[in-house]
Amino acid sequence: MSIGLPSDAKPFKFKGNAREWFGIWIVNLLLSILTIGIYSAWAKVRAKKYFCNNTYVEGRNFDYHATGKQILIGRLIIIAFFVVFQVILTTAPVLGLILAVGLIFAYPWLIVRSMQFNARMTSFSNVRFGFVGTTGQAVLVFLIYPILMALTLYTTFPIWDRAVKRFSIDNHKLGQARFKFDAGLGAFYKALLAALTWILAVGVIGVLVTGFSFSAFYIALDNAESDPGVAIAAVGLIYLMFFAAILPAAFIYQALVRNEVYNTTTLEGGHRFASCVSAPRLLWLAISNMVVVVFTLFLMLPWAQVRMARYLTSHTGLIPGDTLDEFVNQQQAEGSAAGDAYTDLEGIDVGLPV
Amino acid sequence: MGSTLHRTELQGYAYATRSSHRQSARLLARHDDAGLRIEIQGDGKAVIGGAYLSQVTIDPPLGRSPRKLTLPDGTVFETDDHEGIKQLTGRTHGTVLHDIEAFRPRLFGVIALCLAATWVLWRYGLDIMVAVAIAFTPAILVEQIDNGTLKTMDFAMAKPSELSDGDKAEVTQIYRKLLASLPEAEREKHSFDLQFRNMPGVGPNAFALPGGTMVMTDALAETFSDPDVIAGVLGHEIGHVVEEHGLKRLYRSLSLYVLIAFLAGDTGPILEDVILEGNLLLSLSFSRAQETSADRFGLALAKEAGFNPSGLLLFFETLQNAYGGREPTQWMSTHPSSSERLRAIEAFIDTL
Repeated sequence: MSIGLPSDAKPFKFKGNAREWFGIWIVNLLLSILTIGIYSAWAKVRAKKYFCNNTYVEGRNFDYHATGKQILIGRLIIIAFFVVFQVILTTAPVLGLILAVGLIFAYPWLIVRSMQFNARMTSFSNVRFGFVGTTGQAVLVFLIYPILMALTLYTTFPIWDRAVKRFSIDNHKLGQARFKFDAGLGAFYKALLAALTWILAVGVIGVLVTGFSFSAFYIALDNAESDPGVAIAAVGLIYLMFFAAILPAAFIYQALVRNEVYNTTTLEGGHRFASCVSAPRLLWLAISNMVVVVFTLFLMLPWAQVRMARYLTSHTGLIPGDTLDEFVNQQQAEGSAAGDAYTDLEGIDVGLPV
Repeated sequence: MGSTLHRTELQGYAYATRSSHRQSARLLARHDDAGLRIEIQGDGKAVIGGAYLSQVTIDPPLGRSPRKLTLPDGTVFETDDHEGIKQLTGRTHGTVLHDIEAFRPRLFGVIALCLAATWVLWRYGLDIMVAVAIAFTPAILVEQIDNGTLKTMDFAMAKPSELSDGDKAEVTQIYRKLLASLPEAEREKHSFDLQFRNMPGVGPNAFALPGGTMVMTDALAETFSDPDVIAGVLGHEIGHVVEEHGLKRLYRSLSLYVLIAFLAGDTGPILEDVILEGNLLLSLSFSRAQETSADRFGLALAKEAGFNPSGLLLFFETLQNAYGGREPTQWMSTHPSSSERLRAIEAFIDTL
């Protein structure tokens, strides 16, 4: 399955190691707990900086420039807003509902602000990234497309997914040089088809091997309330389905799409990218990481993160066109740390996909 | 004069201002009259930039990633010579932190401290945060929560009560008797108010809102004529109000959510779900503990007010017979399982 990077590609390299990152991580955690979360803003900066600083390509590394103070202020604004919103929602439900509808429209705006902030705070080879996406585009990608997708019973999911990636990549810049995304729709549908094929195959094999009968299962479920054993069996079956069918399918889709996205992305100046991650490897890494982390009471989390970073970077490459010496910084709006805090809280990933 | 007692030279790379142009460079440092002056030289001794060390921004050390110096004009010098930089700058901003982070036996102390702190935060810290938040919650806001919830309920699922005035008066009298047994301070702190609603589909039940408003379904008064049962159920609900269970649960889940989101940071794909699910199970156990606590409070209050505390027992026994055998297993539920609860109530009545 492993195809490898093209011969002219310079692989990314993660030079951090688990021991070192563990020390930083555990001190971050301790200080965050002792300050009931306040230090977590500085901890975030240190963590991001560590991963940026240790990611290299062609001997140059990334850097992260936000300050703890910026992050903290952003978080306080979002928490204050969150509390006020909760209060309004419980005390004046009607007003709260109107506000909630308003929030739906604030969501794309916050995402754009967050992407701006993250791009501006990250640099490669002394030149800052930039993000020029507009709220209008974000409304289209994060509100209108999902509605259309639901109306078409999610058969248009690949179209939406491609739109999200195009929005992210086409709007990013390194200095004044623009990124350009040019993946065909076919590859996205092929990835989805591969994932669905996996689910179907596992389902068919599962039914054949175990002699599982849907009707018997439904009858059993109807009586589940009186027999806790059935309920446990049902929960077990759902988990089995999740780990055997759905999770691998998700990784198949993600791996195929990631490769396609990198392989068709260019950066002004004749630079191209390459990616050759494999779904089985990614799945293995994710599951073994999870098991190790849970069984070590999260103490091995830094090790797991370094392991994942190493795999991803070593399977991502830059195919330099001209020289990497000619990027120049550009003045640009900084976005807002509040947007960043919002995406942190909601667990939305807006960072640069390395 | 320009003494050159300690002439330092570091190898590294330099970037021109605002540019990705990268070249090998060396940093030369020498003392002059105004202080320690550094100079960045490219190939062939071409000077790229220079400044006094006091004007230079020195990034704090972080692991073994390259050290970075930024001159006032934006020129950047980067080097992997950690020892050299240490000798040049002495202790800088962030040195202490960097020391503690080093992977040495001492770090085990940090780990132990961290595990202990996590436990303390979970066991006491959350309660303290919640207590502070409750202390800062204005009473008028809590009343508003009651009003808002009641309005939503009336809109969505409740109809006006169909009980006769006589029935209502009877129940209200029991309620007054219970309240009279509360300490003076508690009575003044909450605005206790009993409301009757016809809620088909909810069954015989009563619930309390954080501010002290209590809603009782018609079915409860219709199913149970025994004042001891009514007293037991209302006592339980008064327990929720006095012990501020509603607000505690609200604030607790909010602070846990924020803490996990910001502390755990980027845990990776599957792990995030593991944490959230574990958190959900723990919050269920918290809710069960509240129910048990309210049971005890209600039993003691009912007894104090002159009722037979076994009324609550009768209530749950009747419910169990009517809806018996249809409850989820203990760990999946917000309420203790009936049989377990009955045993606990019996045991507690014995101690009264």
